[in-house]
Amino acid sequence: MSGLSALLREKHIRYIESLDSKKHNFEYWLTEHLRLNGMYWGLTALCVLDSSETFAKDEVISFVLSCWDDKYGAFAPFPRHDAHLLTTLSGVQILATYDALDVLGEERKARLVAFIRGNQLEDGSFQGDRFGEVDTRFVYTALSALSILGELTPEVVDPAVKFVLKCYNFDGGFGLCPSAESHAAQAFTCLGALAIANRLNALNHDQLEEIGWWLCERQLPEGGLNGRPSKLPDVCYSWWVLSSLAIIDKLDWINYEKLTEFILNCQDEKKGGISDRPENEVDVFHTVFGVAGLSLMGYGDLVPIDPVYCMPSSITAKIKKYPYK
Amino acid sequence: MMQLKHYPKVYWIWNHRLWVLKHYPTNSSMIWQTELAVVNKLLELDARNYHGWHYRRIVVGNIEEITNSSLDKEEFEYTTTKINSNISNYSAWHQRVQIISRMFQKGEIDNQKEYIQTEVSYIINAMFTDAEDQSVWFYIKWFIKNDIVCKTLDKQEYVKMLKELRENILLINNDEIEFSGKQNIWCLKMLLVLEDILEENGAFTEKNSEAYLVQLMDADPLRKNRYQSLLKNHR
Repeated sequence: MSGLSALLREKHIRYIESLDSKKHNFEYWLTEHLRLNGMYWGLTALCVLDSSETFAKDEVISFVLSCWDDKYGAFAPFPRHDAHLLTTLSGVQILATYDALDVLGEERKARLVAFIRGNQLEDGSFQGDRFGEVDTRFVYTALSALSILGELTPEVVDPAVKFVLKCYNFDGGFGLCPSAESHAAQAFTCLGALAIANRLNALNHDQLEEIGWWLCERQLPEGGLNGRPSKLPDVCYSWWVLSSLAIIDKLDWINYEKLTEFILNCQDEKKGGISDRPENEVDVFHTVFGVAGLSLMGYGDLVPIDPVYCMPSSITAKIKKYPYK
Repeated sequence: MMQLKHYPKVYWIWNHRLWVLKHYPTNSSMIWQTELAVVNKLLELDARNYHGWHYRRIVVGNIEEITNSSLDKEEFEYTTTKINSNISNYSAWHQRVQIISRMFQKGEIDNQKEYIQTEVSYIINAMFTDAEDQSVWFYIKWFIKNDIVCKTLDKQEYVKMLKELRENILLINNDEIEFSGKQNIWCLKMLLVLEDILEENGAFTEKNSEAYLVQLMDADPLRKNRYQSLLKNHR
C-alpha cells in the first residue's frame, strides 16, 4: 500500500458512516463499552473531514441521552451501563459539537457537574468511577468536560494542577501518576489539563524545552511516532504527540512530510479508515487521530482542530476561557 | 489471571485486580508477595508493559507499608537485571531513576560518592554496549543534571566526572565515524548538554556547540527545526 500520496477523504467518510449500520455484527456488541467514545471519535473525524452532516444529528443526540445513567448522574458508554468519566466527556463533547448542550437541562447538568467533582480525590487527582482507577487521563477528562460546560472552579482546578505537575518526569515526559514512566498520551492529558486551567506558565522555559525534546524524539525513521522510547510507531500518537507539541508551541519540531506519509500509508484504500500501522486493520479510533494529526499539520483543506480539546476549533472558540471573569 | 495473560494491556483488568485485593478481608503481606511473583512473571513475558511496571510500584509500596521495611535495594537490583538483559528497557531505566532518588533521599546509601562512581562506570559500559538506543542517553541526561549527583560530589569531582563522560562519548563518536563515516547523533546531543553544564561550572575549554548543532541538522533531519531553534538561542 506504499506510495499513496492523497488522503482518501470520501472513503473515510463512507467508512465512518458504515460503522453504525453494523448492528447485526457480533463485534458491534462486543464493543458496547466503547460505544459513546466511538460516536465521539466518528463525529470528530467527520468534522475534520468537513462532513459532520453524515451522521443524523437528532439520532446521535438521542443516543447520547439514552446513555444517561440516572443512578450516578453522568454518561455511560451505552444504555444501561455504568457512568464513567471517559464516556461523560465524550457525551459532553458530542453535544457541544452539535451546539446542543441545552438538551441536558439544568437538573441533569448540575448532576453531571456533581458527578465529575465527586470523583476528585484529596490529592487533586481523579478516579474514573467509583472503582478507584487513578490516571492523569481522568484529570484531563474532568477538566475538559467541566470547561466545556463552563463550570471550572479554583477548588477543582488548583489541586488538579498540583497533581498534574507531580506527574512531570526527569526526562521531559509525563506519567499516569507521580513516579510512573513517561508516556506520550499522558503528555497530552497533562499539557491539555494545564492549558485548560490556563496554567502552562507553571512550566519554566527549561522544562518546556525538555518536554519538546522528549516529544520530538518520538518520531522514528519511518516517519511515524511512538508513545515511549524503543516502541513501535502508531498512528494514534500522531495526535498525542502532535497536540502536545502544538500546546507548547513547538509543533514543527517533528518532520511533517515523513509523518504525513506514514499516516497516509495506514489508510485502507478499499474500505476507507486508518489503522495503527501500515497493513493493519482499520478502526475509528486510529481514523480520527490520523485525520486530526493531519489537520494539525495543515494538510489539504481539512477543518482546523483544537489541540487542547480535540474538537473543531470553530466549536472550542465558544468555550469560556478559565479563569472566568 | 488468565485474562491478564491474554490482554496485558487492558487497564480495567489491572485495576479490577487491585480493587479486589484492596477489599480482601485480611490485608497480609502474603497476598502482595504473591502479586509480586505474578508481576515478575508478566514482566518476563513483556518487559516494557506499562501497566505491569505501574502495578509493580503499587505492589512493592504495599509490601513496604505492611512490613514497615524498604525494598529499594532489591528493586534497584531488579532494574539492573532487567537492563542487563535488554539495555533498551527504558521502563527499567525510568524505575532506576525513581529508586536512586529515593535511596539518596532516605539516606539508604552508606558511601554515596562511591555509589555514584559505580553508576558512572555502569552507564559508560551501557553506552558502549548500545550507543544507538535513546534509553541510556535519557538516563545519562538525568544523571549528569540531577541534584543528587551535583550535591554529593564537590565541584572538582563533579567536573571530573563530566569530563570522563565527555571523553568516552567522544571516543564512541570517533569509533562510529571510523566505522560508518557518520557521527552518532546521540553522542552529539549529549555533548551539547555536557558543554552547557561544563560552561555553567566554569570548566570549559573549547566550544563546539554550534558545530554540533549544524552537524545534527544534517545527521538527524527529522528534528532539524529543534536544532535550528537551539542554534538561535545559542547565538
